[in-house]
Amino acid sequence: MRARVALLSVMLVSGPAFAGNEDNDLDLIPQAAQTAPAAVSAATLGRRNDLVNALSFSIPNQNLTVPLPPPQPASWEDRLFLDSRDEWRLGDGLTVTYSGRFNLRAENDIPFPNHEVVRNELREAYVSWQPAEGIWLDLGRVNVKSGVAAGYNPTDFFRTRAVVEPLTADPSVLREDRLGTLMALGQYVWAGGSITAAFAPRVTLPTALYTNLNLPSFDPMLDRTNAADRMLLKASATVATGFSPELLLYHEGNRTEIGSDLTISIGQSAIGYVEWAGGVQNSLIDDALRYGRQTGSIPARAPAPLLFDSGRMSRNDLSVGLSYTTATKITFNLEYHYHQAGLSSRDWDNWFTAAARRGGIPGVDPALWYIRAYAQDQQDPISQHTGFVRADWTDAFITDLELTALASVDLQDGSGVAQATADYFLSRAWTVGGLASFTFGGRRSDFGSLPQAAGVLVRLIRYL
Amino acid sequence: MFRAWFAAVLLLAGTLPAAAQTPREIIAAADRVRNPGQPFRTTNTLTEYVGGKQKDQDQIVVYSKEDPATRQFRNVVRYVEPPRDAGKIALLDGKSLWFYDPASKASVRISPQQRLIGQASIGDVLTVNFVVDYAGTLLGNETISDAERQKRDCWHLDLKAVSDTATYDRIEYWIEHGSFHPIKAKFYADSGRLMKILYYRGYQERLGTLRPSEAVIIDAVDSTLVTTISFGDLRFQDVPEAWFQRDYLPRLRAE
Repeated sequence: MRARVALLSVMLVSGPAFAGNEDNDLDLIPQAAQTAPAAVSAATLGRRNDLVNALSFSIPNQNLTVPLPPPQPASWEDRLFLDSRDEWRLGDGLTVTYSGRFNLRAENDIPFPNHEVVRNELREAYVSWQPAEGIWLDLGRVNVKSGVAAGYNPTDFFRTRAVVEPLTADPSVLREDRLGTLMALGQYVWAGGSITAAFAPRVTLPTALYTNLNLPSFDPMLDRTNAADRMLLKASATVATGFSPELLLYHEGNRTEIGSDLTISIGQSAIGYVEWAGGVQNSLIDDALRYGRQTGSIPARAPAPLLFDSGRMSRNDLSVGLSYTTATKITFNLEYHYHQAGLSSRDWDNWFTAAARRGGIPGVDPALWYIRAYAQDQQDPISQHTGFVRADWTDAFITDLELTALASVDLQDGSGVAQATADYFLSRAWTVGGLASFTFGGRRSDFGSLPQAAGVLVRLIRYL
Repeated sequence: MFRAWFAAVLLLAGTLPAAAQTPREIIAAADRVRNPGQPFRTTNTLTEYVGGKQKDQDQIVVYSKEDPATRQFRNVVRYVEPPRDAGKIALLDGKSLWFYDPASKASVRISPQQRLIGQASIGDVLTVNFVVDYAGTLLGNETISDAERQKRDCWHLDLKAVSDTATYDRIEYWIEHGSFHPIKAKFYADSGRLMKILYYRGYQERLGTLRPSEAVIIDAVDSTLVTTISFGDLRFQDVPEAWFQRDYLPRLRAE
């Protein structure tokens, strides 16, 4: 008996041909996968063309606290655009890059036919030369993106005025359609880090903020990106495994800022990140009113529409956050944004009080709204303290369905905007998606006082 | 009694390979079958089947290089297909994991858990040197069927993660006697849940030795999902150290 037990033990340890259950796994392989399928023909490398139709409807805020000067936001808009990115090699180490979006649009407040119906956005057009391994020189319109946060990037200095006609409130998507800056850029990347230097010259004067009714058809809009001399120097170094902080130095006009960002891996599922920039600068209200007067949007001698802090002082911008990915493929980003130059609770109170007491005076309400339009154009949070949360779920419920939800909340008054997006990848060539957003908050709050209460969008994408 | 022990010894001897190998040596030899000893690139075509029917087909190019310090492979993965993902790049270097999207021109740092989302993770997992991230125990010897239902005499090993960069907590691994060809693997999460079953198949002479040209991955959580990976265009390629800097990702050009 003991001999039988011993023999059985040996057999269990050595397990000769007793693994019949293992072979059952083969039954899970479908017949179609028994032989390798033919490989797809790869897309032309470096080239991408997407044809997109986006139809959106806007629901206005019926309880607007401060009357909005014209033009009013469009109540519906349909946009058909060809989004292109292409790259050509001219020779050894020399490439030309083009990126742009050609739009045909129709909306309730644009007559047809009209030159406004046709628009082209020249995002990038530059020559890149690689004289040696790890060294590049770029010349032309280049989109330089900096920063590590998802909702607000204080160190992304070339973001200002660069976003044209956004279709979404999602910051990560806003970056996909922003104009590059005409610049000369040099970069060296080596095994331990990288260094980048860029100079963007002033080629035109600052211009008034655009509305959806005065966008040029084929103008490259260099006034958005090259209305001042701008310089950027940034460097990153791998200090330790998985730890590569980045330092930045930026100069524009009479403003110099320094910045830094760093990320750190926390366990298997989380990434912590912080991004900071600081320097001597004006408040947002001060900057907006100065810019409005400089570009003729606000009469040069008009008094300020509200009380505000007009001193130049050292101010900080901060974005600190955490991303966490669950085993079910949901990635959450939770961030706190600090924009010291933005509106404080007292500034908001002054903004609403000025409208209530002096809104009847010609020019006051437009000047108040101009401050908000300026902040949006600069891609800055308008308030000092903002919370941001984003969730992205890949293969949600079924494969090829991606759901994204985000909310940006003004921590000073609890108002905010929430947005949910769904995209379903129908095939390798088609994606269908939709988006719904709404604002929340009291009538005398940041988001609760916006002219748009809600919006929906449906889109169809054909990958060419 | 003596005859019973003698039979057992004979049986045991018959199931063992001629030369004794430690689990570590077996796993290391199998790693060398899967991964060439110098930097290389391969174009992986991933075909996904749902309920037995082909649904998606993706293509990625994997540039791979062993880190002399950790002896683990570091990968730069460039997406080729489908068109919506073309040009995206994943940098998978130990704890330094970044994802670059040419549409936003932004590089986002991702967690080890997040790298498991999407097809780049498959290319990454396939180059892992198991001997670095796992400690192996020999469970015994088994004759199992390979993906082509041919019987293979294998070592059956149990691998436990010993590195915090290990993607899975535990792996069951079947390696063929003598040839050290990996035949099959089962990947388990920290919870003990079986996540994936992987078969290597289509051994061909490539870069100096017989290597698998395909893998079949069965999703153990949803067994209707099966992915085949064809390793095409395997060749040696210099991968400079600078490629593993996040600022290099926008500079990586298709060839």
